[in-house]
Amino acid sequence: MARGGEDRNQRKGTWQPYAMLAPGMLWLLLFFLVPMLILLRYALSEPTDRFSGKYELTFRFANFTDAIGDFGSQFLRSFAYAGIATVLCIVLGYPLAYFIATKGGRYKNLLLGLVVVPFFTSYLVRTIAWTTIMGDNGPLLAISDGLSLTGLLDALKITTNGGMLQTQTAVIGGLTYNFLPFMVLPIYVSLEKIDLRLLDAAKDLYSTPRRAFWKVIFPLSLPGVFAGTLLTFIPASGDFVNAQFLGGPNQQMIGNVIQNQFFKLNDFATAAALSFVLMFIITVAVLVYARLFGTDELSV
Amino acid sequence: MSVVPARVRTRRPTGSIVLAVYAVGVLVYLFLPIITIVAFSFNDPTSKFNLEWKGFTLDNWADPFAKGQLLDAMLYSLWIALWASVVATIIGGFVALALSRYRFRGGAFVNLFLVLPLTTPEVVLGASLLNFFVFADTPFLERGFRTILISHILFCVSFVSMTVKARVRGFDWTLEDAAMDLGAPPLRVFYKVTFPLIIPGILAAALLSFALSIDDYIITTMVSPVGGEPTFPLYIAGAFQREISPQINVLATMVLLVSVTLMAAGPVIGLLRRPKAATAP
Amino acid sequence: MNRQRVRTVQQAINRRQFLGRGAMFGGAVMLSPALLAACGSDDDDKPGSSSTSAGRSSTGDLLVSNWPLYIDPTEDGVTGSIDLFKEASGIDVTYNEDYNDNNEFFAKIQPDLAAGNAIEPDIIAPTFWLVARLISLGWLDKLPLDLIPNAANLVSSLQKPSWDPTGEYSLPWQSGMTGIAYNIDVTGRELDSVDDLFDPAFKGKIGMLTEMRDTLGLTLLSVGKDPNTITFDDAADAFDKLEKAKNDGQIRQFTGNDYQDDLIAGNFAACVAWSGDVAQLALDTPSLRFVIPDEGGMQWSDCMVIPKGADSIVEAAKFMDYVYDPVNAARIAAYVGYNSPVAGVQDELRASDDPAVAALADSALMFPDDATLGRLKVFKSLSDDEEAQFDERFSSITTG
Repeated sequence: MARGGEDRNQRKGTWQPYAMLAPGMLWLLLFFLVPMLILLRYALSEPTDRFSGKYELTFRFANFTDAIGDFGSQFLRSFAYAGIATVLCIVLGYPLAYFIATKGGRYKNLLLGLVVVPFFTSYLVRTIAWTTIMGDNGPLLAISDGLSLTGLLDALKITTNGGMLQTQTAVIGGLTYNFLPFMVLPIYVSLEKIDLRLLDAAKDLYSTPRRAFWKVIFPLSLPGVFAGTLLTFIPASGDFVNAQFLGGPNQQMIGNVIQNQFFKLNDFATAAALSFVLMFIITVAVLVYARLFGTDELSV
Repeated sequence: MSVVPARVRTRRPTGSIVLAVYAVGVLVYLFLPIITIVAFSFNDPTSKFNLEWKGFTLDNWADPFAKGQLLDAMLYSLWIALWASVVATIIGGFVALALSRYRFRGGAFVNLFLVLPLTTPEVVLGASLLNFFVFADTPFLERGFRTILISHILFCVSFVSMTVKARVRGFDWTLEDAAMDLGAPPLRVFYKVTFPLIIPGILAAALLSFALSIDDYIITTMVSPVGGEPTFPLYIAGAFQREISPQINVLATMVLLVSVTLMAAGPVIGLLRRPKAATAP
Repeated sequence: MNRQRVRTVQQAINRRQFLGRGAMFGGAVMLSPALLAACGSDDDDKPGSSSTSAGRSSTGDLLVSNWPLYIDPTEDGVTGSIDLFKEASGIDVTYNEDYNDNNEFFAKIQPDLAAGNAIEPDIIAPTFWLVARLISLGWLDKLPLDLIPNAANLVSSLQKPSWDPTGEYSLPWQSGMTGIAYNIDVTGRELDSVDDLFDPAFKGKIGMLTEMRDTLGLTLLSVGKDPNTITFDDAADAFDKLEKAKNDGQIRQFTGNDYQDDLIAGNFAACVAWSGDVAQLALDTPSLRFVIPDEGGMQWSDCMVIPKGADSIVEAAKFMDYVYDPVNAARIAAYVGYNSPVAGVQDELRASDDPAVAALADSALMFPDDATLGRLKVFKSLSDDEEAQFDERFSSITTG
């Protein structure tokens, strides 16, 4: 959008931009690109024997097809969980961001602070706190039992046999919780940029408030939703912490599988191949998504 | 900034109330685990695992550092986060400045290169770094403090440059030329014109890096050695296997209190400075 | 009585009183001649020097990586074994409880040991089958047995064991039994069979261990197979049984040591568990029980070994010698509740003039009788290829 204007203000660089880029680019080159190439090497290798940790580069492309064939269900599950969590984040986060941006008034910063404060405690401590909340003897089930809701929740598949921990609900709930601020903040930033007098103008033109929102505000906030979706979906689809603490053996995600291949089975080749398949799918998904809804604004 | 006209607020009271209730509901959801963590810092567990409410006590707060290793882990994490955020902010800030200030060949490529680590799931990033350190097999890259720091800086750099870039987007860099035309020496130009402009972005980026680094578990667990000092998240993960002491909750609550205080201090400092700023223009 | 259940309350009292007497034990240790000698020789070693008997390396400090809750800590005013050892030897010990899973630990040390680099810890405590693998890979140093005179106290049944046929590489830390732990408040009945873990009444309330030899071992026993002679093809029934239970939602979680949280929190009604853990947990949660099921249980040993290239061999030897002194071994065993590999521990306990301590000598869990021992199986030592097959099938179930 503002690209053209930005360009006009920029200077023509000779050596200066490269000098300023050098340390950062060098870091990325050495500690991102090179490790990725080594990972690729492992993905195309075979172990010479099982436990010595030595691998031979044999260009075994079957590592990739094996990875998809053997772990297809975990891939599907991961993207389903991440997708649902992302949608839930929008459903929960958009109204909150909208409320803060439009009705926050002088409490705006305080309210934004309240969104961020929970995340000053450790990710793991928070996740472990959820195990207490959702545990079989925890407060959440006690409340639902008290209200005689457990039967209903079972029917809705929110609980399983009256339990919540180690179910899909717990894992998706954990993902939603842990990535919610990554959705709220970008949406808030894009809403903040909108001149809300536009709503007034729409009203003067006899638009209903609902119509004004969907026709004016929502489209203008899409960059925020887009950025939030990426910041939620990508880490959620590769996450293994939530499935490890809140899930059971039927809720393991691809992150757990990769972790397991590295740290239980010592199979670096399979783990590396899985990593690349995961990255490939995410990249394709992001590109398609960007083509459909995208802007070039990725950052908060 | 955006002005909310009075009419909008008054005309849709029911909608506003529904929205407000919904927003408060979401905030309550955000605070559920926090309330649990704070409450359980006052728990008096009968077993080694502080997971069930047994009774109220102040003992944990009287002796918050009873678990020496817990404090060590916290300090270690703070130390790593400090270094990671400083280095990442410097090198990432320069990348952002170069990208927004200059037109040059390869800018698009640099942008893409910056985004890649952000679109890489942490478990893949951790895996590649682990393989790299193993493959490199030099004493300098032996898993430990250095490998953890290198990895943390890596995932922070992209976040820093994106954040700073977003904040300085649209800034008219010819202002610097104007200042120089008016006879200001380059250092003075940087100090008076450039620096005040980029400092909010730099601070935001540094804070973000600090937060990302201090809380990272997935990558850290992959690039840290056996028998090495645990970072705070690694300590917590280990503790989950043997003993979840209420002191973990006490320390988590303390961190929360410090953060909230700092956050509250921000606006207060802002208020104190406002009269001065008002006289400036 | 064939089935051993933890008589929890009584043992709770026993342990606490016993720990209260730790100081007295500590005093006794200080006077033991072997240790005085050790202290004497220690004075000659300057910290940081790399000298001593037979040119073995020595740094003055020691790093031990062991499983969690595997030694008596310093707490409630009672000095634990690590601090007592520090005091007695002057060696600066760092004792990390960071050994949570055999495969995971192996994966973490593999890159360094494969590259010929030393890892940080001087003593680690892998389970017997991993000891065999580490020996065959050449990743262990021989123990300096001449510096560990107390190694002679190793019980005869564990001398030159199958996983370390010459007995030169490992000294057992503790042995133990794998059986079933259950929370009587949740189950509402006593359990006595592996099939109780597969009882639909406990659907979603069952925990199993990520250690394959424990979980699969019990399942093999339940389908009438002997884990000691099992082949991959023969194990198919047991794997299928586990897989079905997983798919049905019978198994809530596969865990490491963290099964303890779920057991206490009531998330598990019953789970595959290690004998000593339950003894410890039952002190605070009296509704917990441990049983060796009718079909039999598994037996194992975790062993102290020195990874190749460790730089504190002398200190490691002193530590091993210390914990193989029956007085010290008795103190540790009384806390952890496992089966001590040190001869004389039972006598040491019985000889105590405190009747509560003496009663521990009759604990069926710590000193199982021959009938119980006869029902325990040791998992077969798998070849690399077999191991690959077993591991892959098992992990396809745990990370379904």
